Amino acid sequence: MFQERLSGVAMQVAVELFGIPRARAGVAQTSAAGSNLGDVLADLAQKFPPLAETCIDGRSLRAGFVVNLSADRFVTSPETPLAEGDTVLLLSLDAGG
Amino acid sequence: MTPALPHAGLIEASYRKKFVTHSVPGYHGCYLRVDLSTGSSARIALDESRLRRVLGGSGLGVDILLNEGAAEADPLSENAALAFVFSPLVGSPLTTSAKFAVVSKSPLTQRINDSLASSGFAIAGKKTGHDAIVLVGKAPRPSVLVIDDENVSLEPADELWGLANRAAQDRLRERLGADYQVATIGPAGERLVRFATISHDGRHAGRGGSGAVLGAKNIKAIAVRGSRRTEWAHPQELVALAKRLSEKSFGPATAKYRELGTATNLLAFNRLNVLPTRNFQQGSFAGAEAISPEQLSVARERTRSSCAACTIGCEHLYGLKNGDGSVRLEYENLFALGPMCGISDPETVLAACKLCDELGLDTISAGGTIAFAMECAERGYIDAPWLRFGDGTALIRALESIVSGDELGRLLAEGSRSMALEVGHNSIAFAPQVKGLEIPGYDPRGLQTMALGFAVGTRGADHNRSGAYEVDFSEAVDRRNVNTEAVPLAIETEDKAALMDSLILCKFLRGVFSDFFAEAAEMLRLVTGWDVTAAELRATAARIVTTKKQFNIRAGWTPAEDTLPERILHEALPEDARAQLSPTRLATLIEAYNRARGWTPAGYVMEDIRSL
Repeated sequence: MFQERLSGVAMQVAVELFGIPRARAGVAQTSAAGSNLGDVLADLAQKFPPLAETCIDGRSLRAGFVVNLSADRFVTSPETPLAEGDTVLLLSLDAGG
Repeated sequence: MTPALPHAGLIEASYRKKFVTHSVPGYHGCYLRVDLSTGSSARIALDESRLRRVLGGSGLGVDILLNEGAAEADPLSENAALAFVFSPLVGSPLTTSAKFAVVSKSPLTQRINDSLASSGFAIAGKKTGHDAIVLVGKAPRPSVLVIDDENVSLEPADELWGLANRAAQDRLRERLGADYQVATIGPAGERLVRFATISHDGRHAGRGGSGAVLGAKNIKAIAVRGSRRTEWAHPQELVALAKRLSEKSFGPATAKYRELGTATNLLAFNRLNVLPTRNFQQGSFAGAEAISPEQLSVARERTRSSCAACTIGCEHLYGLKNGDGSVRLEYENLFALGPMCGISDPETVLAACKLCDELGLDTISAGGTIAFAMECAERGYIDAPWLRFGDGTALIRALESIVSGDELGRLLAEGSRSMALEVGHNSIAFAPQVKGLEIPGYDPRGLQTMALGFAVGTRGADHNRSGAYEVDFSEAVDRRNVNTEAVPLAIETEDKAALMDSLILCKFLRGVFSDFFAEAAEMLRLVTGWDVTAAELRATAARIVTTKKQFNIRAGWTPAEDTLPERILHEALPEDARAQLSPTRLATLIEAYNRARGWTPAGYVMEDIRSL
């Protein structure tokens, strides 16, 4: 955050999309700007309107979707801070089948 | 029409003497019991209090089997019982309710087995006027059981014996008429392969070997046709509720199933390092992208299908390039016949899926057992130098050998647990099974709430009776370091599954409910007229889970069975050092689970079954 303010450039994080999010965005990987999850989701929504329509509501995920950070922990709160090198994985919540 | 067997008339005569009428809306109030040995049948009354306690599907099935003494019987013996069970919601306008349960003791696990399948057989079977069809005994020769309302007969199946599922179903419909719904076993069931399925219209009662139980009874097929509908207590409200439910089923909660199918799990699981690969030696697969549905859709034709009375339409069929039609592809087929065996050639995986469908093999157990055999071959424990991870030709050859009955096939046909005990070299340590049932496509080391679900599951490692992976895919737990706080969450998924499997509704609908138990209570109230509540259904679900446990205890269950393979408990995933589950942690989770269920810490149920 501090670095962002100094440079005026928002931190970029890698984003990987799976299932419906991938189908809606039309890409498997992209990047988005933000130092927390809400900012990243808002940026993704701006870049990919079909993705927003199904998966993102403002700075939050719509019901049925979840984010995993760097294949580690699952998060949903828009205030979740992101660090340099984090990868945001956007996927459907109902993993079973 | 082909002449009926000599004892067919006896079946009909006995049946008519014991006709019982129904009383509860949604039910016929009886089940049909056919003794294939004596050629007799009877209509057995089901009273209202019993139905309310166990509902239908899996719940009613295990209750009937306990009364039949099935827990103590050899599942492939004449004494064994097998039940096709319907439910109060079957035949209603509620979406996804056209389902039936096949319940028996499993020849693979020697424990309770309830497998569910869908579509027209459920509707037609219930319309014969019965809430369940229970088979005991053994037909004197290969036969087809034909049930046409109150008429029950056995017909010869000689011309069908040996046919693959689709061919047998087509031939039987030609013989009987297109208005019959047919369930068959393939060559695997005839040969008593312990993970043989029962097939209906391309769908399978897949897990646990119910196809072998039917084969042991000399029954190639069951054909049903009927004209008896049950009443609904509040039809107008039910239709209105069904309409709302159907509308919700078109929403985002089911989009994954509708648009992509379950196979789309593959790449997500691969990225999270929980995709079982090369017999659980790895949690990710370099060839995953090549066999992913996203890639398959680019290169070949894809069509969509659905079960009768379903608005989701989750089935995605992929064309084979050799012109051999198409095949339904689910995540479990894809994982088991792909990464689990190290196969990254999409054509081979699709051909293997189709072969399993036609032979009547459970894909999870087939893939798991072959992957285990591949590792045994690579270690030199079995003499099969051709059987190697990643070799597609070897995979197809191994599948064919399961029903050909050659030396390797004889071993494979018993499943990985029995095969390991025969192979020796402590290979049981890496046999991918719990209670004899091969583990589905969720690596328990990276999904440790699911690990608990697998370990305590009454039918063995099972993602359909415990949905605990949902807990792991959430913020509620640290999926690689799960503690006892996960236990009630795991139980909640198990209870939901027990209720869905007893009502019966498809689990792919679960995401549309905001309060499943309350909404299920309303559905049941509108169908039956019972003043049922969410609290009552929670108690019912727990009772059904406990009744299955009681079945297992009668069948010889011991606490030592509730565990995972040594490999899972002693080796971390190579891609993820944090994905490690110790025996101590698993034991702690299991004890907490048993206590939360109200059982003894070791997992025994103290109450008599009748008091549950």
